Amino acid sequence: MKPFTTSARRLAALVLTAATLATAACSSSATAGGGSGTDPVYFGVSSATTGQYAQYGQQFKEAFDLAVEQVNANGGINGRPVALKYEDSQSDPKQSVTVAQKFVADKDVVLAFGDYSSAASIPASPIYTSGKLVQYGFNNSNPAFTEKGTEYQWSTSITTTANYQWTADYLKKQGVKSVGVTYLNTADWGIPAFQAFKAEAEKVGLTITDAEGVLDTSDDYRPSLTKAVAGKPEAFVHIGYGPDAAKLVTQLRAIGYQGTFYGGQDEKSFDGTPDAAGSIIAAQFIETSTDPKVKAFVDAFKQKYPNEQHVTLFEATAYDALNVAVAVAKQGGPTREGILKGFGEVKDVPSVIYGSITFDPATRRVQDPRLTPTILKDGKWVEYKTA
Amino acid sequence: MLDTLIAGLLRGNVYALGAVGISLVFGVMNVINFAQFSFFGLGAMLAWFFVAQLGLPFGLALPLVIVICAALGLVINLTVVRPLAQFLPLAAMLSTYAVSQILDNASQIAFTAEFRVFPQVLPTSNLHIGNMRFGTSDLVMLGVTAVVMVAIGAFLKYGKIGQAIRATAQDQEAALQMGIPVGLVQHVAFVIASALGGLAGVFIALYVGVANPTSGLNTGMTAFVAATLGGLGSLLGAVVGGFALGILEAFGIHFFGDSAREIITFAILILVLIVRPGGLLGKVPLISTEPLTGTFLGKGRPLQVPRWVWPVALVVGGIVIPLVAGDYVLTTGTQVLIYAIIAAGFTVTAGQAGVMALGQAGSIAIGAYASALLTLHSPISFWAAIPIAGLIAAIISSILASPIWGVKGHYISIATLGVGTVIVAVIRLAVPQGIYGIPMPSWGDTLLATPRAYYLIDFAVLVVTLLVMWRIRGSHLGKVISSVGSDEVAALASGVRVRDYKALAFAVSAFFAGVGGSLLAHQYTYIDPTIFTMLMSLLVVTIVIMGGVSLPYGAVVGAIILIGAMELLRFTPELRIIVYGLVLILVVRFRPGGILVRNS
Repeated sequence: MKPFTTSARRLAALVLTAATLATAACSSSATAGGGSGTDPVYFGVSSATTGQYAQYGQQFKEAFDLAVEQVNANGGINGRPVALKYEDSQSDPKQSVTVAQKFVADKDVVLAFGDYSSAASIPASPIYTSGKLVQYGFNNSNPAFTEKGTEYQWSTSITTTANYQWTADYLKKQGVKSVGVTYLNTADWGIPAFQAFKAEAEKVGLTITDAEGVLDTSDDYRPSLTKAVAGKPEAFVHIGYGPDAAKLVTQLRAIGYQGTFYGGQDEKSFDGTPDAAGSIIAAQFIETSTDPKVKAFVDAFKQKYPNEQHVTLFEATAYDALNVAVAVAKQGGPTREGILKGFGEVKDVPSVIYGSITFDPATRRVQDPRLTPTILKDGKWVEYKTA
Repeated sequence: MLDTLIAGLLRGNVYALGAVGISLVFGVMNVINFAQFSFFGLGAMLAWFFVAQLGLPFGLALPLVIVICAALGLVINLTVVRPLAQFLPLAAMLSTYAVSQILDNASQIAFTAEFRVFPQVLPTSNLHIGNMRFGTSDLVMLGVTAVVMVAIGAFLKYGKIGQAIRATAQDQEAALQMGIPVGLVQHVAFVIASALGGLAGVFIALYVGVANPTSGLNTGMTAFVAATLGGLGSLLGAVVGGFALGILEAFGIHFFGDSAREIITFAILILVLIVRPGGLLGKVPLISTEPLTGTFLGKGRPLQVPRWVWPVALVVGGIVIPLVAGDYVLTTGTQVLIYAIIAAGFTVTAGQAGVMALGQAGSIAIGAYASALLTLHSPISFWAAIPIAGLIAAIISSILASPIWGVKGHYISIATLGVGTVIVAVIRLAVPQGIYGIPMPSWGDTLLATPRAYYLIDFAVLVVTLLVMWRIRGSHLGKVISSVGSDEVAALASGVRVRDYKALAFAVSAFFAGVGGSLLAHQYTYIDPTIFTMLMSLLVVTIVIMGGVSLPYGAVVGAIILIGAMELLRFTPELRIIVYGLVLILVVRFRPGGILVRNS
């Protein structure tokens, strides 16, 4: 259809475009300065705003935006407002590494949040490290994110290990003797979590009648569930996320199992599932808490987003993360070096999840994270008190 | 056992509904319709919206969903699929992928990405047999499926348009000559398929209890396998395939666990295809050449690239960009280069041998794992690990794929997709934990871990890849492989061992996929099975189609566009995927034979 010379010219044009782009990107990063006075302090956010993890990216964004509004209304960081630069990685490592490079090259960015999944966060870590930019993986519960990372990886997320050791201990304390288990067979989350649970269960003498690895992409768990409850365990533990737990608990009840369900997540689809009522989990954040900090956050959130029925752990982690980042920047100074220094020094940052946050500089995680047993009642998680 | 059987019947019901639509469109249009997967998610979200948000009764919501999906199907077929199917079926397949991206993301913008609880419109566990509880809702689903199947069956047998659909499915040319309005028939088939997709989506959500806009993909994939299992184009086959797969899966999961689900699904598929190459009830394709690429070679003619372009490209890519570009562009460039290496190697399978293999992520994963494990647990260095990873990928992939070369037609693509998926699933079972701390490249004591170093290493590997591919194309071997792709019957008649050469071409492609995987692993320094998805396989295929299916250097252009576009579109985060889909459709519309191949 087209004479080949045109096509050849197009090929050349393509190559040239690539070169121009390269130059443009180079010059844009060169002009960026450190900034001072009333210039905004920029934090980067690498998260999924499209694709299969977009639900979480959206929850993070709402909470981030609220926190930024509040921080700026209160004078920002020593008079300088805070602003966020969002990049959509789809939580895909192919894109999270380029996003990391983009943030590293952008001298205005003094700290980067994210990514959502470990499979996207950990491949980006070497780039953040070599760019001397702190990567604050506030959602990364995989212990390896900080263990295998460097001084540039920090997290306020409780590790899966800590969470599921607690669960095994708690079950034992409740007098439960045997459990059936399903866990997500995923490398970055479910498997390490199950291993921590299993090791602790063995230690405290809690019998696991059967454990089945399942996938969150499955829709039908009945064949696995019939096996998992065949040994008639007293209670059932599911190590997974909200949407898969919602499907799973419905089907668990459908096959006639009546024991207590220890699992699920403070997440909309799980909270709204009728069969999920009565589920018990270790909570870090309770929306219904009477703590004035939590109440103020929940009220402000619902005021800003009147359509949101629930404020979950996902919003809380992002809200806390931004406040921690601001406290860190105030402590060490709003530069990349200052942020790194600030993380090591900051103490007792007010938190809606933990009450207050102090880091353990050795693990780069929160010291003594507090966990509270909660039960799902009428679509809301409330503190579970046993007599 | 009875419990498992009932669970299998219930899931089989959903698969059967999904498979019928896929089979119908394939029968009359010869197009594998990825957009069908999106209709599952869309149907579920629309039903959720009508019932949970607007408070409409379920009896009203269901027909509304069906009508909307049918109308949308008509629009899609009118504007995108049919115009492109007239050029090339392969272009149409790519465009249905683009449509599915647009649909999923438009739905995500409209309904947000959240998982929603699907309202319980009917009791779900009020009845029981043994320990197994089920509900009125399950019975209604089974009943509706039965009624729909009988109705469609009667329509195809006695209805005028129905008969025309069957005639078109049997022989499109003959149907045209008999005066059948093939265009209209194809529209009707697409509309019915879309409506069925919406209906299946509602049922999936009803059965599963939660839904989000992209939740159709997984069930869609299984429904696709069910359609293939039954024999593409055979509606009865789709129903049989759906129920058979549902029941076999349920028992498979019971004995081997849910983690083995994908292995079970595809193992069943591959076994059936080896025994019955046309599926359980389908026709065995008469021509064994892959129909997609077969038509392709006839229509496209390689573009003569003037000689000066090569040194210019070498200087720009190898010297100018590394000198002037910032780290962000270099890192993006690295991703482009790695995918260009994988895709360039793939052209020998897709273009020359005429096999549109769909499971390249499997070979990439083998290369990545081999390289990671070798450098971590043996004294082998990064530099030696790259070719070794390629070799291991080539050997394992060829052995695993060896039974499928007797499979014919479209089924070969689907069988390779199965092999790729099984490879990743087996890796997940064998090495469930992610691998950390994969060494970065170094030379002596110098660490070569800067974006520029990665870029230069990958650029050098790409140049070598292109040289090797160029040599293969020019050699006697390359000519034999091409003869297999362009006319398999003639090649067979000339005494060429067609199967062996297809396998050899596949091994060459797997080698470069393994090399690409190795390069990715050493850049990420961390790998786990979630990285090597079906979307990765599709990306490789789309890159190759976009650049011109038989041109190794076309793959470079395809990679620049498809990976570069995702970065260039960052200025519009909300619409990024939708614009990406539109760009894909436009390119396919104006260059249906690929950017660098002239269409006739």
